Amino acid sequence: MIRETLALTKRELFRLARNPQAIATSLLLPILYLLLFGQALNFGALYGSNDAAAFIPIVRGAPNYFSYFAAGMAGFVAVTATLFIGANVIFDKLFGILKRISSTPASSTSIFGARLLAGLIQPIGLAFLVLGLAWGLGHLGLSGLSITASVGVVAAVQVVLAIVILSAMFASLFLAIGFAIEQPQTYFAVVNAINLPVLLTSAALYPWGILPGWFKTVASYNPITLAVEVIRLDLFAAAPSYYPYNAWVYLAGLFGWAVAMILIAILLARRALGPRH
Amino acid sequence: MQGAQHGGGAIVADQLVKTFNGTVHAVRGVSFAVQPGEVYGFLGPNGAGKTTTVSMLTAGLQLTSGRATVDGLDVQRDGSVVKRRIGIVFQESTSDGDLTGRENLELAAALYSVPRAEVRGRIDGLLERMQIGDAADRLTKTYSGGMRRRLELAAGIVHSPRVLFLDEPTLGLDPQGRAGFWKYVLELRKEHEMTVFVTTHYLDEADGMCDRIAIIDHGTIVATGTPGELKDRLGGDIVTVRPSVASPTLGDALGKVPGVTSVGQQDGAFRVKCHNGEALVPALVAACVQAGVGLQGVSLKRPSLDEVFLEFTGREFREDEGPTATDRAVRVGQVQSAFRGGRR
Repeated sequence: MIRETLALTKRELFRLARNPQAIATSLLLPILYLLLFGQALNFGALYGSNDAAAFIPIVRGAPNYFSYFAAGMAGFVAVTATLFIGANVIFDKLFGILKRISSTPASSTSIFGARLLAGLIQPIGLAFLVLGLAWGLGHLGLSGLSITASVGVVAAVQVVLAIVILSAMFASLFLAIGFAIEQPQTYFAVVNAINLPVLLTSAALYPWGILPGWFKTVASYNPITLAVEVIRLDLFAAAPSYYPYNAWVYLAGLFGWAVAMILIAILLARRALGPRH
Repeated sequence: MQGAQHGGGAIVADQLVKTFNGTVHAVRGVSFAVQPGEVYGFLGPNGAGKTTTVSMLTAGLQLTSGRATVDGLDVQRDGSVVKRRIGIVFQESTSDGDLTGRENLELAAALYSVPRAEVRGRIDGLLERMQIGDAADRLTKTYSGGMRRRLELAAGIVHSPRVLFLDEPTLGLDPQGRAGFWKYVLELRKEHEMTVFVTTHYLDEADGMCDRIAIIDHGTIVATGTPGELKDRLGGDIVTVRPSVASPTLGDALGKVPGVTSVGQQDGAFRVKCHNGEALVPALVAACVQAGVGLQGVSLKRPSLDEVFLEFTGREFREDEGPTATDRAVRVGQVQSAFRGGRR
C-alpha cells in the first residue's frame, strides 16, 4: 500500500512540476493581496494610528492590522490553493486515467491518500510564502508582519500543524467533491458555493473586536478561524484574555474537522473507485 | 444457452446479467467458458454488451445476477485478487499524457507490485518490443495513436498477467497499426501462455486472430465456435437473389433448384444457401425467368463472418453503428485542450 501510494504521489508531483504556469498563477493571489489589499486596507488608521492602544484589543493583541491580516491571509491562501484539487480527479475520470488506476489492485485509500499528500504541497508552501513575504515587506518600509512573541519550537510546530491540518481538511473536502461529481462545470459551481461562505464566516480577515456576537459564535467554529487563531496566538505576544483557549485546543478542533473530512473523502473515493453498480 | 460449468476455464461466465437502472438490459444471461491459453473473441456491434461484459469480468462492474470466475476466482467475491491476475487494455487511451512512456509503465509496475528488482528490465524490454524505446522519455501526449495503443498494451502486461482483456484494442488504428498490435499480442500469448479475451467489432480481426468467437447482439450470445465452424454453419455459399418486384412464390421456386440447401428472405431479397454458388447462379436465374419474375440483381458471397452475423441476428453487421470510442476520445481530447492551463 505504501509503494502504490508513493508511486501515485510521484505521478501527481510530476504533473505539478510540469505545469509551471499554474504554479506561477497561484503565486499571484497572495502577492497581490499583501501588496495591494493589505497595504491599502488599514483599519488601524481609523483609530489614529496602527499602534493605538484602543485598536490592539480589536485585533486580539496583534501589533497592527497588517500583522493580524497576514496571519489570516496564510490560512485564506492555504484554502484557496486547495480549491481545484478535486477538479483534477474529474479530469482524470474524463480522460480514462482514473479508470486505468482503479482497474489495478491499488486501494481507493492509496489513490485518495496520494492526491492528498501531493495536494498539500501548494497550500503549505503558499501559506508560508505569505508569512515570509509579509514579514519581508516590513523591512522594505511597507506595512509588514511584526512578530511580537518569542517563537519557540513548540510555537513553530503549532503554526506548521495549523497550516498542514487546515490544508489537509480542505484538500479532503474538495477531493471528496471531485470523487462525487462527474462534470467539471458542476464541480466549480459547488466549490464556489462552499468556498465563499466558508471564507466569509471566518475571522481570517475581519478585526475580531468589531464583529457582532452571533458572527463571533459562527466564526469560532470555522476551521479557517481555528487555524489562524493558532498562528496569531503563536506569533503575537497577546494577553491571555484575548483568546479563551490555548493553541492546542484550537488545533484539536481543527483536527476534528480534518478527520471528519478525510473520512468522508475516503468513503466517497471508495464509492467512486469500487465496482460500479 | 446452457450455463457454463465453473472451475474448468481461465474465464467462466455463467448466466451473466447486467441491467442498469432497472430498465436498460445491457447483458441478458451470457454464458461461456474460455480455456487457458485461448484467444477468445467477443464480436458484436457497438452497444451489443461487449464492454459491459468485460467490465463485469474485470471486477469493474457489479453483476445484476449470474456468476463469473477468472483464473478460478470469483470476480465479485475476490475482485481485488482478480485484478492482480489480469491485465486490461481499454478501448480509450488511459495513459497519462503528462507523464512519459517510461513513467506510465513505472506507475503501472508499482500499482501491480512488480518486484522492484525486475521493474527496470521489464520496462526496458517492453519499450523495445513495442518499438517505443526511442520515445520512452517523451510525454505520451506527444505520441501517435499507434504508439499510445502499444503503450497501453505494455501497461496491461507489465505484471505478466494470467489473463489479458483487450476491449476494442485496435479501435481507430490503421490496418498497419492493427496488424502490428496483433503481432505483439500473439507473440506474448505464445511466450507467456496467456489467455486473451478480446472484444472487437472488426470482423477480419475476429476471423484471423481468435481461436473461438462468440457473437453477441443486444446483450445475448447468438452463436459461438471457431471462425471455421461458424462459417460452416452457413451451409456453404450464399446467393442473394433480388427480384425487381415482390414475389411471394419465388422462394418456393428457388428452393426446388437442385443443389439449394435452404432459402431465406430478408428485406425483399432471397438468401439462397448452396455448396457451389458460382455454378448454381445460372440455374437460379433460370428459375426466376420460369416463374416470370424479373431480377434487380444477383450476388454471390463466400462464407464470412459478415454472413454469419447476418444469419444469426437477421441484420447486417455495421461497424459504424453509433459513436465509436474513438469519436468519444476525440471529443474528450477537445475538452482537455480547452481546459489545459486551468487544470490546477
